[in-house]
Amino acid sequence: MKTASSRRALLHGLALAPFAWLARAPRAEAKDYSGPAEVLDAIDSLEADVAARLEAIAGRLSSARPLASSFLADHARHRRVRAIVRERLRLTAPPVSPASKDQRTLDGLRTAQEALVYAHAEGLSALGDAAAVDALARNMIDLARHLTVIDLWLEAEAARG
Amino acid sequence: MAEVSLPRSRREIVLDLARAAGVAPAIIGLLEGTASALPRGESADLAILSAAVALENQAIAIYDHGTRRSLIPAGLRHYAVEFRGDHLGHRDTQVAILEERGGKAPEALPESLVGSVAAGDDWIRQALTIEIAAQDAYGALISQIRTKDYLLSAAFILVDEIRHMTVWRRVLGLKIY
Repeated sequence: MKTASSRRALLHGLALAPFAWLARAPRAEAKDYSGPAEVLDAIDSLEADVAARLEAIAGRLSSARPLASSFLADHARHRRVRAIVRERLRLTAPPVSPASKDQRTLDGLRTAQEALVYAHAEGLSALGDAAAVDALARNMIDLARHLTVIDLWLEAEAARG
Repeated sequence: MAEVSLPRSRREIVLDLARAAGVAPAIIGLLEGTASALPRGESADLAILSAAVALENQAIAIYDHGTRRSLIPAGLRHYAVEFRGDHLGHRDTQVAILEERGGKAPEALPESLVGSVAAGDDWIRQALTIEIAAQDAYGALISQIRTKDYLLSAAFILVDEIRHMTVWRRVLGLKIY
């Protein structure tokens, strides 16, 4: 019998943490993935959404192009890593629906990027394979860095008024 | 002739910090690349939890030292407060998991062990060093975690460590993308 879901375990951990860490409430709503296929499919879809937003912003703002180009190059590398993971786990990739291009706000990009990072963090425990965890954790490190870069960008925009 | 200090690799820095924190030999082996996996079972998680708590204690000591001695530039103190809070959360969460499983957490580090650090960039570099060490250690160990609840917590902790590292790199004018 399963005595504790990962979500309840996370809540337990958060309940024991000081306020500063507890304050990030979205973590308490962690998604329980059913297995590696669901994790990888969700990541494919969320990555496509982030990529469409990056392309839309870079299309409008030339100063954002180096950043978008760097992030999109990381995405391409991450897709190759996921292909290897799928091969290892004998999974097939479903076609990814094209995301809407009309998503040009920085706030929207931040929300989409956070969802992509959280899908990795919440998905690792559903992979059931140490090599797959290692591979996706390394991708997550890049994506968490991207999220912080977007946060710093938002802070700079706010400081400019 | 003046003594020349050679730049140390990230791995050497992580290993030095891990050894100073009293991290178990099995974990040191994994971090230095002489071992590829930890033994299966609950003992692997206990060893990782203990190492992680030791590294979190080091990070907390550096932030406490910087705050008490006013080493952190005024415009950056909000980051230091946020990151110290994160490290306290990481430590307390992992201590709770460790104790729930019958383990004993390493003691907190006395601030006196931080050593001599000057205000401003010197302190920021020190903070960046421990954040890099934390990122490298969690990144190297996460695939060895055996239980789902701890793996989920460790993943979110790793995301926080990346945020800390990226902010300090940006402050020091280092490449972040």
